[in-house]
Amino acid sequence: MDARPRHLHPPHTTAITSSLAGITTRTNKLISVRPLRARYTPEVGDLVVGRILEVQAKRWRVDVGSVQLAALPLSAINLPGGILRKRTETDELQIRTFFAEGDLLVAEVQQLFGDGAAVLHTRSLKYGKLRNGVFVAVSGMGGGGGVVRSRRQVWTMEGANNAGKMDVILGVNGYVWISKHVETPKEVEQKHMGITNLEENVSATVYSSQNDAIDGDTMREIARLRGVVTALVENGCRVDEDMVVRGYQEAVEMAMLSESGQEDIYLGGERGEQLAAALRGN
Amino acid sequence: MPLDTSTYGLALLRVDGRRWNELRRIYAQIRTQAAADGSSYLEMGHTKVMCVVTGPSEPGPRRGAGISSAGGAGGGGGGAGGQSKDAEVVVNIVIAGFSSVDRKRRGRSDKRTLEMQSTLANTLAATLHTHLFPHSQITISLHVLSQDGSLLAALINAATLACVDAGIPMTDYVTACTAGSTSTYAANDEGADPLLDLNHQEEQELPGLTVATLGESDRVVALVCESRVQISRLEGMLAVGVDGCKQVREILDQVIKAQGQKMILEGTVDKGTGLNDMDLD
Amino acid sequence: MPREAEPSLNERQFVLQALQDSIRLDGRELDQYRPLELTFGDQYGVADVTLGKTRVLAKASAELTVPYADRPLDGIFNIATELSPMTSPAFEVNRPTETEVLISRLLEKTVRRSGALDTESLCLVAGQKCWSIRVDVHVLSHDGNLIDAACFAVVAALRHFRKPDTSMEGGVLTVYTPAEREPVPLSWLHSPFCVTWSFFGEEGDIALLDATWMEEQVRSGSCTISLNKHGEICQIAKLGGVPVEAVSLLQCTNVALIKAKDMSSKLDKWLAEDAKRRDKGGLLAELSAENDRVPDI
Repeated sequence: MDARPRHLHPPHTTAITSSLAGITTRTNKLISVRPLRARYTPEVGDLVVGRILEVQAKRWRVDVGSVQLAALPLSAINLPGGILRKRTETDELQIRTFFAEGDLLVAEVQQLFGDGAAVLHTRSLKYGKLRNGVFVAVSGMGGGGGVVRSRRQVWTMEGANNAGKMDVILGVNGYVWISKHVETPKEVEQKHMGITNLEENVSATVYSSQNDAIDGDTMREIARLRGVVTALVENGCRVDEDMVVRGYQEAVEMAMLSESGQEDIYLGGERGEQLAAALRGN
Repeated sequence: MPLDTSTYGLALLRVDGRRWNELRRIYAQIRTQAAADGSSYLEMGHTKVMCVVTGPSEPGPRRGAGISSAGGAGGGGGGAGGQSKDAEVVVNIVIAGFSSVDRKRRGRSDKRTLEMQSTLANTLAATLHTHLFPHSQITISLHVLSQDGSLLAALINAATLACVDAGIPMTDYVTACTAGSTSTYAANDEGADPLLDLNHQEEQELPGLTVATLGESDRVVALVCESRVQISRLEGMLAVGVDGCKQVREILDQVIKAQGQKMILEGTVDKGTGLNDMDLD
Repeated sequence: MPREAEPSLNERQFVLQALQDSIRLDGRELDQYRPLELTFGDQYGVADVTLGKTRVLAKASAELTVPYADRPLDGIFNIATELSPMTSPAFEVNRPTETEVLISRLLEKTVRRSGALDTESLCLVAGQKCWSIRVDVHVLSHDGNLIDAACFAVVAALRHFRKPDTSMEGGVLTVYTPAEREPVPLSWLHSPFCVTWSFFGEEGDIALLDATWMEEQVRSGSCTISLNKHGEICQIAKLGGVPVEAVSLLQCTNVALIKAKDMSSKLDKWLAEDAKRRDKGGLLAELSAENDRVPDI
């Protein structure tokens, strides 16, 4: 019932007061405070991992861990049967065949609305639906550890112990995707086919909700990698390519030394602390 | 009257051995729940509460079972999800059945709890910068684990800590504590002393009030008095209460700073540049 | 639920700017109440209070019941608040809104917990028979400051109320009808009144009494103080809202005391007038065999 006025500053003072608990940085005359922890604030160009929460007539609403849900317009995805095809009514009708509620995707922030909500796009073969792996949510850019913006957010790494290659996507928003490496169309093309088959291939796999067959070794190493990410967060380390790769190597070595050998993927509690300590020591 | 005020007159010590202007031990922690946006745990003597803040995030009915986001607040909401230009502050209080001596379970529609929820929501909405988060909702869930007086004050303090942890911009700390008076309403004696931070026993026997202030100022955000007291006692009680709030603020400030320093030491966040110390709130 | 439309930004600014210059839309002083009117019903215990356009009806009633097991020596006293869709479409039946809960809590704290009614006097046979007194508060029209009006109505209804007279003889409880014995008033200890301050502006430095609905919608905080004429505070509720200097809150309490004394004397006057009016007829006069004397000229 009451209207609430704004008390943007403590009254009767001219001193500069922070409204957040955080780290102050001074650049010439600009003083900024980065909070110790906050929700992800989207910026144009960020690579994010998100989850579809709602399907609307011409767009999806995506949870990217931000204050508001992000929007993914139908016009901002690659439609099957050719990248430059015009959007049709049929596409609108079968919007759920591309992404349905609960689907995970990787996308880029294309623009921001006035209120700070993000608009995403997946108009690149790098982006699209995620499958063949696991999802981990840690805190993202906004403050307080977790994933940090860095040069490379996506990379492929070799799995130890007979496992195949693994893809890691660190969404700037703190959502992480670890999956079995799927050969990108480019690689496929170099190996087998000509350019003509490329588009058909895209349409067949990009929006598939079926996982490929994954062998046990790879699954175990994906789980280990996931353990590394959570252990890093639990022990207050930042999550970036360098830390994850080194953490993974360390975890593999730790497993070798343990009783159950390579099958031991537990990285919680003391072992997580041990891992973090080893990484800090380097 | 189990609380014998005559002994107070002799030794000037209260039932738990405190002097009139002493707070009980306050122990607080932030970031107790890793999955929450912000969380805290606070003890004021034997009153123990936990707080979890979710959001700011888009509200709306949760659709589709099994969908959960890291933020916890799933659901659609649609384009016009939020009705207001400001974030809405929603407070839920759960009082555990084992929290007090009589082990009585309070329903969710208990009027006293509803009143506390409304008080907390209005108190925090006055200090959080809700205009920065249009169409969204800040959900504050509080659990009362143990009650020994000054419940509302403990809830306000815990909620403030959790909001700081969640990184929601705010004007200043809102801190609260209780104050009472050694005189009963019947006795009109002039020599009555004000008391700071009442425990359950004192709260039952003596007139008292809960006061919440903004930061270091004397500005009262919330003032709740539920007992009959002479108007002349009010000034003394209010003065002691406001002073207590300032003490509480110092304690909470140290808790936040300690957490910040820990994070810098662990390398979770970079150290600031240009300024020597951390400015907090 | 149909939502009430909120006042527009322009309306808000207009009201607030006027208040900056201490001008209220209805031309009152900041600490001036709207005209307070009280009408008693034909029955005992019905009070109809109007405060400007706000109108609240309170009816007290009594029935014989068994006391609560944990309080065998106390009678039962309840206040039921009803905000029906008649007041505003935003209020729904059977689903208490936040406003309703807060009002009923405030009335409860002001009247019941402050011990205005001596509940021990309601007990007839310990653990077996007692009076259960209930006050139903119905808001008939809402134009702001429901709390003050409702509290006044409750106190007026209870002080006006007469419960049937009873007697105990040899373990037999007799309840007399009004025709047999004149009903008796409740054992009343003190009369608390609510005074609600509304605060405006970012600093909360404008404070006024008896806000209208428009003013309530644009206010940034409020504080309800309940006092009786003896200068005892029964309850203070500033449930959040804009921060206000502690010193000005103390000033508000002092002004509230003056207002409470004022209300107290008004109620005393109205009760006395009503008693006089009823006394003229009355059972005794009816039973009297004497003719009215023609005064000597």
